[in-house]
Amino acid sequence: LDLNFRKDSKDLPNPPMSALATARVIANLNDVEYPEGIKSPKVELNANAPAGKFRYDRDFLLQFMKVCTEKPEHLPPLEVLGLEPADQQFHTMSRGGSGRGSRHGSGAL
Amino acid sequence: QEIDMQAQADEIRTVFSDPTNFNVKHPLYSPWTLWFDSPATKGRNLPQTPISSFPQTPLPQTPGNVAALGWMEDIKRVITFDSVEEFWGLYNHIVAPSHLPQKANYYLFKEGIIPAWEDDANKNGGKWSIQLPKDKNRSNIDKMWLFTMLAAIGETFDPYLTSGEATEPHPQSLVTGVIVSTRPQFYRLSIWTRLAPTGQGDEDDKLRERIEAMGRNFKTSVLGYSESQKLQGPLATEVEFLSHKDSEKKGKAAKKIVI
Repeated sequence: LDLNFRKDSKDLPNPPMSALATARVIANLNDVEYPEGIKSPKVELNANAPAGKFRYDRDFLLQFMKVCTEKPEHLPPLEVLGLEPADQQFHTMSRGGSGRGSRHGSGAL
Repeated sequence: QEIDMQAQADEIRTVFSDPTNFNVKHPLYSPWTLWFDSPATKGRNLPQTPISSFPQTPLPQTPGNVAALGWMEDIKRVITFDSVEEFWGLYNHIVAPSHLPQKANYYLFKEGIIPAWEDDANKNGGKWSIQLPKDKNRSNIDKMWLFTMLAAIGETFDPYLTSGEATEPHPQSLVTGVIVSTRPQFYRLSIWTRLAPTGQGDEDDKLRERIEAMGRNFKTSVLGYSESQKLQGPLATEVEFLSHKDSEKKGKAAKKIVI
């Protein structure tokens, strides 16, 4: 089934392996030094976590929002999912139905 | 010089120090799968549905199950991810709840758990949920859903796990998944749990306390309300817990916990 989602990748000339695909998983959070201004995850959350499994506090996680902009390799086109943003204009006109009158691209945030 | 090269190869580069060439990523406690449905997903064959991705769990053909199977056929699998970096890549390329069509749902569940009562991980559980009028919350819902997802994937929903109360070495989280639903007049956010208090047995009081602590955490830290704040109003509910078994009963038999 997955093959069907890769149609669009044919158009690209052999993209290099993304950092996301090749990066290794952090085994020990203490090994990681974050640049100045970046908060480390709260250590106390992981006091009883098994090795290699981590809990992360929200403030730590939110720091990734602006830097992780790469589109996931296996994200199917949103139209295929029926996942298109509601068209606000048509919404207010009580057209009923699924608001398909006009489509706006893929609707990234 | 060789040592230098070795040192460079071993250097840990996070996405913060090198957004395009990082060499480590932050694993999540569990892998998660995002599912989606809306009126527009009905009858579409692609992509995977819970039925096609878990064909190994055939259910007996009772009328209820047939209905459940039909419903699950309309839910589409968006993606499975297991790192912080992948979560944000997804988040930055997908539609926020305030821009979803009506009658749509995102289901973010631990990998291998179907977003349905019928799943073994859910059948003895229940859900914390809150309903919010749409017009007053259009500007809040995206942040509330984001914070709900972050508490889920960060595994911080269940305070029992991190408070030091747990006596077992690696206690399992009660959370199986989180859902956001858009309806013509309101939004609903839900946190599904593996277990629900039954009012019976030695461990039930402890479980109830743990479930209530989750609800308070949801109301205050995640949604940003004060603990005593009254939320009920036209189209709005308090933060309420209901077991799936009681949800099936609908009417008066249902015993809600309200935070």
